[in-house]
Amino acid sequence: MPGKPRARTWVLLSIAAAGIWAALRLDLDPRTILPNEGGAQVAREFFSRALSPALTYESAVPVPGASPLLVKALGAAHRTLIFAGAAVSLALCIGLPLGFLSSTIWWESDPAGAESRSMRFLRRKVAPLVCGASRTLATVMRSIHELLWAVMFLAALGASNLTAVIAITIPFAGTFAKVFSELLDEAPRDSAAALRAGGASPVQVIVFGVLPRAHSDMTAYAFYRFECALRSSAILGFFGYPTLGYYIAASFENLHYGEVWTYLYALFLLIAAADGWSGSFRRSFAA
Amino acid sequence: MNPMERELQVRRLRRVRPRRRFVRLSGWALGLLTVYCWFAGNFRVDILGERRLRNLSRFLGELVPYPLRDRFDLRTAVDWAASLLSERGLEAAGTTLAIAVAAICLAGLVALILSLPAARNITSPEAFLTDPRPPRRRVRAAWTAAVYLTRVLLIFLRSIPEYVWAFLLISMIGPSAWPAVLALAIHNAGILGKLGGEVVENLDGRSLSALRGLGASRRQIALAAIYPVALSRFLLFLFYRWETCVREATVLGMLGIVSLGYWIQDARARNQYDTMIFLVAIGVVIVLVGDLVSAIARRVVRES
Repeated sequence: MPGKPRARTWVLLSIAAAGIWAALRLDLDPRTILPNEGGAQVAREFFSRALSPALTYESAVPVPGASPLLVKALGAAHRTLIFAGAAVSLALCIGLPLGFLSSTIWWESDPAGAESRSMRFLRRKVAPLVCGASRTLATVMRSIHELLWAVMFLAALGASNLTAVIAITIPFAGTFAKVFSELLDEAPRDSAAALRAGGASPVQVIVFGVLPRAHSDMTAYAFYRFECALRSSAILGFFGYPTLGYYIAASFENLHYGEVWTYLYALFLLIAAADGWSGSFRRSFAA
Repeated sequence: MNPMERELQVRRLRRVRPRRRFVRLSGWALGLLTVYCWFAGNFRVDILGERRLRNLSRFLGELVPYPLRDRFDLRTAVDWAASLLSERGLEAAGTTLAIAVAAICLAGLVALILSLPAARNITSPEAFLTDPRPPRRRVRAAWTAAVYLTRVLLIFLRSIPEYVWAFLLISMIGPSAWPAVLALAIHNAGILGKLGGEVVENLDGRSLSALRGLGASRRQIALAAIYPVALSRFLLFLFYRWETCVREATVLGMLGIVSLGYWIQDARARNQYDTMIFLVAIGVVIVLVGDLVSAIARRVVRES
């Protein structure tokens, strides 16, 4: 059994107190959760279609020349995947070097051999500054939500597929940098120490001593973020990009609830596939 | 060891290094997928066209607070920021935090319950029995189905983003804080339920079996052994998800709930980019405060 239950009790009590504060602050009355008559009607109609998603368009007047609903849903899922894949790959290109710079592995420990004075100065004085600066940069990047980046880019540059990708990329790169630097710092140092004692150069120590101890966790995390990117990419549809969110919003506003469920299930299948893939990848990596 | 021998040794080690086909294939598939995404995405590098650059320079000019555009004056700047803060900044920041707190409390409660049927060790006909009688096939199938139904439900809950849940709920519930709270709670219940189920599955089975051997029921085991032991990990996940809730609560305001996002969207609609960027900065501060609180709480939990 875990010892000292007292601290945990305090944490639980604080959570309960915070919850009560939040409920009072927001005026969360359980009775107001039940919507008025109009809302109840929408809720009934919407949830009654949960198990019968639309397979064809629900509009009374068919749009001439429109592709079948399922093809459209597939296309939207495809574009959601493309935005997410592009964003994650770009985020990795930025997040990997930034995460490396934010870690302590490249400057903290003393090298084996003699060190010239200038090198020593660089390592002792300049490197911590570089590390701190890249940590700050990563923090700012990930503290602003991808939708806020998208809104700012829309205001600054106007709509473009590339800005949508960049909007996802920035916070994801910041998150990658933070998590990768933590994984690199927390990876076991024994093999690095052994290599250093054996006279390996700093580059060799990092490439053969540190990276192999951290790279399976890093890959697994990158996979997980890909799943998150799929969700972010779907949401960008609410801002006019042609991903799943766009069609969810449009169908819902036209009261075509069956179509909404079709798109929701398309998103669900996309995420579930990514989830299953990353799950079995993690398992076979850990094995 | 002479160089020749060493070379042979290295080759032999390289040959017997662990290689997994699935991992390698996944790597190739991911690489191809990336290349495909960039080719199929039609990402024209037109963001630096002349019109867009003009737009950009106008935007950057308007980021300067309105009263400071002619000349900079610290007094005016402080007044401008203070008036924004007192008008809506602090109020909206409080609402944002409250939404995140309320949502994570709800999500935690739901996940606490759902993590049991999601765990295969307790949701099985012979849970923790050391010497079980083999159950009938139909009985076993029913228990297995319960696990898989719970898991599919959890995947569904978490695969729909908070923003979509909020968008759907807002027209059913109306513009109170409930849509945002419920949206965050639903999505995070899906995530916390999955993580909690994994925690329960990874618990040491021996002490649970001992309790079962003494004749404890499933419910008694859950209350007396599973929850107390799993609580620390539950709390770690709870705080980790709360950080994301703070980020998301900011953004959900764009749908009309009066958190920070509402005023950000409002400022954008009025082309008041100076106000917009100031509110975004407040959002950054809230996120950092949330991260700090969560880090402290997680340390307390970890050391207890």
